Amino acid sequence: MMRDYWLSKLFFDLQQPALAAEFRADRDAVLARYPLDERVKQAIAEHDAPFLAERTNAYLLRYYFFAVGMKDDEFVRRLNG
Amino acid sequence: MAELVGAFAASHGPLIVREWDNVPPEQKTRMTAGFRELGRRLMAAKTDVLIVVSPDHWSNFFLDNYPALCIGVGEVNEGPPEPWMKAFPHREIAGHAGLGRHIAQSALDAGFEPAVSHRLKLDHGICIPLWRMELERLPRVMPILLNSIEPPMPSLERCYQWGTLLRRAIESYREPVRIAILGTGGLSHSIGEKTMGAIYEDFDHETIRHFGGAPERLIDFLNETLAKHGNGSEEVRNWLVAHGAAGGRGFELVDYVPTPKVIVGCGFASWRV
Repeated sequence: MMRDYWLSKLFFDLQQPALAAEFRADRDAVLARYPLDERVKQAIAEHDAPFLAERTNAYLLRYYFFAVGMKDDEFVRRLNG
Repeated sequence: MAELVGAFAASHGPLIVREWDNVPPEQKTRMTAGFRELGRRLMAAKTDVLIVVSPDHWSNFFLDNYPALCIGVGEVNEGPPEPWMKAFPHREIAGHAGLGRHIAQSALDAGFEPAVSHRLKLDHGICIPLWRMELERLPRVMPILLNSIEPPMPSLERCYQWGTLLRRAIESYREPVRIAILGTGGLSHSIGEKTMGAIYEDFDHETIRHFGGAPERLIDFLNETLAKHGNGSEEVRNWLVAHGAAGGRGFELVDYVPTPKVIVGCGFASWRV
């Protein structure tokens, strides 16, 4: 069970509606505040759910895709992609 | 002296709120009836304090510090932080500091090591059942947050023992309060993993059957099977606490309603205490 602390922290923080709105408007500005690996940032940009799933808690992952407005069907499709 | 007057279990899940209008009528009717029946029994037992055992869904704790079990010892706790729980009618919920401290001390004396918190956010895990039970008045709510969300988690055996301990602690509390226990969550569901949306009905029926048998067999069964039936199923730990408080006897299934629209095998149960 691997945990990327800062990726998980980002997902945890995005439970705040104001931050989620800022993230949707200017993702890079929010990402710049978290010391994330480039590969992780790329996975976020590409909605690479399997890559992210290996690095965080499943509930946080689901919260994240909900916060960025992805429907559950699409999230599960990507997770199994 | 205090008295244990009831033990109950009920499912929770965000979609029970967010997708409620889209739940098919037959399932909605049965879920409503299940929650209401538990609420009715809770009120009929003249419950002063309700101990709610639920996981923390990343509302209070994070990877910095995620306790196995945290007892809410505050006079007051906060309502649910989730934006979609805004319509829940309570922003603050009275706790029971005296009982919380007594349970924490009883636990330490018995070789258990709980965390304690003087102010918790009570997320949907606690507040959805309270809401749907449609209680005339909210009893005091003493939260116990038991980790079934982020590994490593307490063993199933230990969760059952927590129930036994709670019973002893309640019965040694000197105030004349009537106390009930509600375990929330389960039965099978899968959140944020490849199987998300799956409900394992056969597994749930088998789990329910085992709640009617010997506690050791129930725990053995769950130890062998739980990990293969969705991460949400881990919340059966909270049912085990209620089961332990009831002495591992007197389980009654009020209803089981597998509900794909809310992606939970919804269970409602009550114990003779």
